[in-house]
Formats: sequence, C-alpha cells, structure tokens
Amino acid sequence: MPPAIRIEDLTKDYWVGFWRKRPYRALERLSLEVQGGEIFGFLGPNGAGKTTTLKLLMQLIFPTSGRAEILGRPVGDVSARRRIGYLPENPYFYDYLTAEELLQYFARLFGFSGADARKRAATLLDRVGIGPERRRQQLRKYSKGMIQRVGIAQALLNDPEVIFLDEPMSGLDPLGRRDVRSLILELRDQGRTVFFSSHILADAEAMCSRVAVVAGGRLAAAGRLADILAFQVRGWELVIDNLQREVLIRIAPQLTRSTEISPGRYALDLPLDPSPERLLSELTATGAVLVSLNPLRDTLEDFFVRRVAEIGEGARAARQDGAHAGD
Amino acid sequence: MRAISAVAVNVFKESVRDRVPYNLALFAVVLIGASYLLGQLTAGQDVKIIKDLGLAATTVFGLFIAIFIGIGLVSKEVERRSIYALLAKPISRPQFILGKYAGLVLTLAANVGVMTLALYAVLAYLTFAAPPQLREAWDAPGLDPRLLQALGLIFVQLMIITAIALFFSTFSSPMLAAALTFGLFVVGHFNADLKNFDRVMQSKPAIWLARGVYHVVPDFSAFDIKTEVVHGLPVGAAYLAATIGYGLAYIAGLLVLSVLIFSRRDFK
Amino acid sequence: MTADRRLAGGAALAVAAFAAAIGLQMARDAAYPRDESADRALMYVQSPAALGRIVLSFDALAADVYWIRALQHYGGDRLSQTKQRKYGQLYPLLDLTTALDPYFTIAYRFGAIFLSEAYPGGPGRPDQAITLLRKGIEAQPAKWQYYHDIAFVHYWQLQDTEGAARWFRMAAAQPGAPNWLEPVAASMLIRGGDRASARFLLQQILQSEEQWLREAATRGLRQLDALDAIDQLRVIVQRFPPPAGERYSWQWLNRRGVLRGIPTDDTGMPFELDPVSGDVTVSPRSELSPMPARSPAPK
Repeated sequence: MPPAIRIEDLTKDYWVGFWRKRPYRALERLSLEVQGGEIFGFLGPNGAGKTTTLKLLMQLIFPTSGRAEILGRPVGDVSARRRIGYLPENPYFYDYLTAEELLQYFARLFGFSGADARKRAATLLDRVGIGPERRRQQLRKYSKGMIQRVGIAQALLNDPEVIFLDEPMSGLDPLGRRDVRSLILELRDQGRTVFFSSHILADAEAMCSRVAVVAGGRLAAAGRLADILAFQVRGWELVIDNLQREVLIRIAPQLTRSTEISPGRYALDLPLDPSPERLLSELTATGAVLVSLNPLRDTLEDFFVRRVAEIGEGARAARQDGAHAGD
Repeated sequence: MRAISAVAVNVFKESVRDRVPYNLALFAVVLIGASYLLGQLTAGQDVKIIKDLGLAATTVFGLFIAIFIGIGLVSKEVERRSIYALLAKPISRPQFILGKYAGLVLTLAANVGVMTLALYAVLAYLTFAAPPQLREAWDAPGLDPRLLQALGLIFVQLMIITAIALFFSTFSSPMLAAALTFGLFVVGHFNADLKNFDRVMQSKPAIWLARGVYHVVPDFSAFDIKTEVVHGLPVGAAYLAATIGYGLAYIAGLLVLSVLIFSRRDFK
Repeated sequence: MTADRRLAGGAALAVAAFAAAIGLQMARDAAYPRDESADRALMYVQSPAALGRIVLSFDALAADVYWIRALQHYGGDRLSQTKQRKYGQLYPLLDLTTALDPYFTIAYRFGAIFLSEAYPGGPGRPDQAITLLRKGIEAQPAKWQYYHDIAFVHYWQLQDTEGAARWFRMAAAQPGAPNWLEPVAASMLIRGGDRASARFLLQQILQSEEQWLREAATRGLRQLDALDAIDQLRVIVQRFPPPAGERYSWQWLNRRGVLRGIPTDDTGMPFELDPVSGDVTVSPRSELSPMPARSPAPK
C-alpha cells in the first residue's frame, strides 16, 4: 500500500533580482511521507515554505528538482486529481457566482451530470452550514468566514481520499474553528487522509497524529508531535493568589521570573529543578492559595527560532534526524 | 471535452454578469439607431451610411469586448488566485486555456449576433420606407445578404484578436496585454501598405523586413471587405475561403503557443 | 524528458499552424492581388467631412496615414514600369490629408508641385494644385508660402505671368514674407518673365527646408540650364550644317572640330539632334523631360 503522499528531495528555487539572476531557495530537499488515514500537520512559521510545498503538490508551480507522488501517482497526474481535494490559503472564488453555482461548476469538472451536480452541491453546502438563501447570493457578498466554508465544501465535492488544507482555520471565529476541527476529525474517522498546514500549534496539538515542521525552507523536524516537543519542557508556571510581598521577596531567588497579575495574585516562573511541590507547600503554609500549576513548554515559535538558528549554524544532525523520523 | 465546455460556459456567465459587454452592446445598438437619424439628413445616402456605420461599429465594439474580456481571461484569474482551486480539479492546463477561449468566442458571437440583428432591423425599416425608384438607385439592396459576408469576416477577425489577447494574457499583466493587442490591431490594419513597400523604398533589407512583418503580423486589412459589400461589388468565394482559412490557422498557432506558455508557468 | 518532448511537439505544431496561415495568405494574394489600398477602384471614404467625424480625435494621426498613402501612391505610380500612370488618387488623398489636418503644410506644398506636373511625371492638373493651395490659404491666410506656390503654378505650368505677378504680390504682403517677392512680381509684369527671373525664383526655392522642394527647384534649374545649352547648340548646329545629302549629327560636328563629344544635359543624358530638321531638344528619356511647355524667353 503506497503512502498517501510521498515527497522526495523536493526543491524549489525562485529567481529574484532585477535580471532574475539570484536564486531564492524557497524549499530545500524536503522529504516526507504521509500514510493513509492519518491527520498530518505541516507546521512552520510564515514564509517557511508551507504554501510552496502545497503548491508544488498541486502542480501550481514546478519543482526545481525532486519529485512527489499522491496516492502512488506522480503529482500533476490529472486522473489522481479526481481523488483529492484542495483548499488554498485565503481562497478567492469567482465573486459573480453564487455558492451554489460555484460548487455546481466544480462538480461538473469532476464529471457529475447536471442533476447530480446540483444534489452534490446542496449536500455539501448543508454540511458546511451555508443556508438555502445564503447559497443563492453571489460570493462577492460573503464574509471571509463564509468563503472559507465554501472553500471547504468545494474541497470535499468529490469525496476525496486525500484532502489538502492550507491554513484552514484562518479567518474563522472560535466557533468556526471548532467546526472545522470536528470536520477534520470526522474525515479521519471516515478513513481519509488529511494534510493541513498551519502556523498555530494549538490546531496541530488537538488533531494531528504526526507532524512535520519546516523553517526557512527546510525540514526542521518530523514525527509525533509529542515526541518532538516532549523534551522541551523547560520549567513550571505557578499561579498563586493571596501571596504577601514579604514572602515574594523571600522566595525571589528561587524564581526565574514573577509577574503580578492583580494585587496578591502572581504568576511565578520556576525552573525545571527542583520539583515545585516543596515550594508550593511552603507557600500554602503562609496562606497563599494555588490557582494553577502548568509545565512551561517551548512554544512552536521558540522551537522554530532555535531550530532555525541551529540549521543556520550548519547543524545537519537535527535535520537528518528529522528527515528519518518520518520514515 | 466536458471540462472545456464547463469552463467555456463559466466564461460566458462571467461576461454576461459583468456589465461591460452589455453596455457596449447597448451603445452599439444606440449608435446604429442614431445613424438612422443621420441618414435622414443625407438624402438617399442613408442606406450606405448605415451599412458603413453598422459594420464599423460592430468591428470597434467587438474589438473592445475582445480586448477587455480577453486580457482578463487568464491574468485576472491568476492575479486573484481563483485559479488555484480550479487547477486542483481534474482539468489540464490546455483544457483550461481552450475552455477560456471557447467561452470568449461564445460571448463575441452573442454580441455580434445582437448587433447584426439591430443592423438588419434598421435596414429593413429603411428598405420598406424607401420609394421603389430610390431603391433602384442603390448600389446594393438594403437587406443585402452579402452583409453577412462582411460580418462573418469581422467575426473571424475578432476571433483572431481574442486569441491574441489570450496569448498575451498568459504571460503579461492585463494593461500590457491590452496595449499590445490593440497595437497589433492597428498595425494589422495597415498591413497592406507594408506589402507594397518595394514601390517606394530602394533598400533591399528594408523591403525584406517590411515583407516579413507583413506576413507575421495578422493581416487584418484583408478582412475588411466593407467597401465591396456596401457598393455591391462581388467578393470571390475563394477569397473568403482563403482569408477565413488564414484566420483559423493563425488562431490555431496562437492557441498552441498560449497552451505551451501557460503549461509551464509557475503561479506565484 | 516527456515535458521537453511535449514542448518540442507543441512548438512544431505552432510553427506548422503559422506556416499554413502564411501559405494561405500568399496563395490568396496571388489570386487576388492587392494593390495598396488607396488604389482600389473605389475609395472607401470620399468625403473629408465624414472621415473627420469617423476618426474622432485622431485627425492628425489619420492625416499622417493618408499623407503616407499619398506619397506611396504618387511614388508607386511614378516609379512603376508597367502600370499605366494615372495618379488618380493623388488629389483625393491630399484633399483628405489636408481636411483632417488643415495645418499640414507639406501636403499642400507637395500637392502644388506634383499635382501640376505634366504627364508622365504627374497628373498634370494645375487646377487641382491651385484648389488645394486655396484650401491652405483658408486655413492659414497669413502663410506666404501658399500664395507663392500658387504664383509658381501660374508661372511655370500655366504660363500666366499676370496671374503669377498678382499672387507674388499677395505673398509679399503676408507677414514674414521674404523681400525678393516684390521684385519678382515686378519682373513678371515688366518682361513677361524670363530665364533670369525664373532662375532667381528657383534659387530662392532651393533654400527651402523641404527636400523635395529643393529637388524640384534643382530640376527646374537644370531645365533652365538645358535651355541655355540648347540655345548655344542650336547656334553651332546652324552655323555648321552637314554637307549636302548628309543628315545632321553630332558626329559631323565632332569631325568638323567645333564640338567635342556628345553634349549632355545636367543629368548626363545626351541632347537629341533631329537628323532632318537639325533641331536640338532634350531627350524624352531624360529625367528633365518633359520640359516646360513654352520655355521662358532667353535673356
């Protein structure tokens, strides 16, 4: 069973400068595999090469070198496109069409006949929550969130086996985000493969089995998210209420940082060692009240910054680890 | 094939909902109506003038429709990025280009059709309103079916212009594409003068250059049979066939080039 | 690489399509020869007023186009070996050009020279030349060049020295007119025009900025030189007739020792000596031909 998506040494150079002489390497030798039926997060800061990778997979741009396959067929194979769906980043559709017409148009491209096309369009518009009156309005009248939903609908028209989503949460309010999240989980439960890119860690954490992290056009890490970030706990955050000033001054040497949230309530950053239980019992003995105790993790941004610096210094080891972790 | 027709229908829909062609077609109709009024002032010359104006208006307005929609065909889609979602569907890039072209030709046909009907309507009125002796004096009958020959050639001419606009829009910005297409239209109309440069120039390289340009630039002057048709002169069937064949072959060449360029393009 | 093979195939297909197009074009042109569009039996637009309306604000540009066509038409007819030279479209083209752009000075002045030129150098229509120039005067009443050109047509083509004098006078009255116009007008009246005045006039025209005006003036001066040369040659021919029974010929005069070689005009074309009458004329094959119908009297 071939992997749903296989990317091998994919590289993309753009030629910039006045005479187009200087190459700008947007993607360097990316290698990845995504198995069928999993939700794969493709993470990275803005400009890392996520959208470039997706465009290469959709053959909107052509690689400088390397290759990629979707469902065992080389990228660009028109017949393979019958089995995939794609939602571009910040999508724009034809604003003179209604949502209904757009979906019917695309459905016809998939080979649905007139009546079937109409039925399919209606089903999907129901699924993404665009009502019967709304769907007859021209797209130029839609909000960003609604366009995003139309985008998801058109990505699912053909019951695809693999779905590519580029920043699917962008422009959505928290309610919309939750809807999309549950939709993606539902797709996974139906046995489909979802490949989505995002720069928001929380989205990935909630859904993905595996992730790949790109930064500066290169693969920084790949594997299970927990594995990647497990060893990144660097301390604790203790939020405590009713803390007296004298106590704070006394324990100050044990803290890496303290922040006053409101009179008496503080957020204290503690180092990883020693374990915070002792300090906690000390503080509660003085009458302070525990609000919360959480491990402090690197944010994905911290991770990126460090990784990019490491890569910049020519630390190839991490990259090679990352490249193999996905096999 | 289905993909091409789906794209074509979409282009037609877009052009119908875009107010521009409606305005132009309406304006052309008004112009033809106004030419009827002008005709009243010129005692007996009205039929000729209306044919002249009708054919000229059809050409000019068809030209503007061809250019303004033609340049947007590809550039607008790429600029607005609506092409991303479209090309991820099972449609190849050549099918996309051909579908766009077919849609625009459809739009042109509709517009030229409207203008033709308007023209014949006015001519019909004039013909029946004119006394028989006046009708005898006309070079050509009022409701001359030969006008359709002129209109047919005008339509093929517009198809060529559309192909040119499409070609330029596969790789350059809308404004540049419009300017280049319009420029080629103007040069193409004076093409006949280029052919006869040997009459007035001595330098051999200049003559060869002029002849080369004559063959490369689309030969729009050959499509202009307004004079013959309006004055009732015959136009050879072989002439029509050769000219139309030329147009179709030229269009084919342009479409192939457009497909080639478009197929290798990166969409940033 | 299939991608490259497709590119090559596509390029070949495009080339084939364009080649077919050009082939059809050439075949059609062979069957239906296309003279320059101005030569069509019917000019599409005859009326300057209608044309002006049609071209909207591109009058000046359209004027330029018609000007080019006028030149091509004139040049085409004049240089053509096979066609019967009619110059039929010259006046309409110039009329249209000047209607579109009434300030198009060259067009008026070009018309003045070449419309009035006798066949086969031009259509031989001095009346059209004058009509055109009068239009120019209507548009720009103070332009002395137009009056001057009308005077010249009267003088050179119509042999109407009185008319010429009148127009030279009017030219002299315009602002900026050169000061030799009055004396020339006077000499027209006094001597009925002579070669010296003609020479003077032509030498003034030789100063013009327009190249073809200069060329026309040069030609005129050469014609005058030819006339002078002919006068001298006639004297010699009459003084030394050939012996009885022989015909007039240059060779006889060479043998006689009164002439060296065969005399030519300024363009290098030998003068013709009529073997019977002994009359000396400019060769009809010379560029100077046709000579002015009635040559100005020698002085």
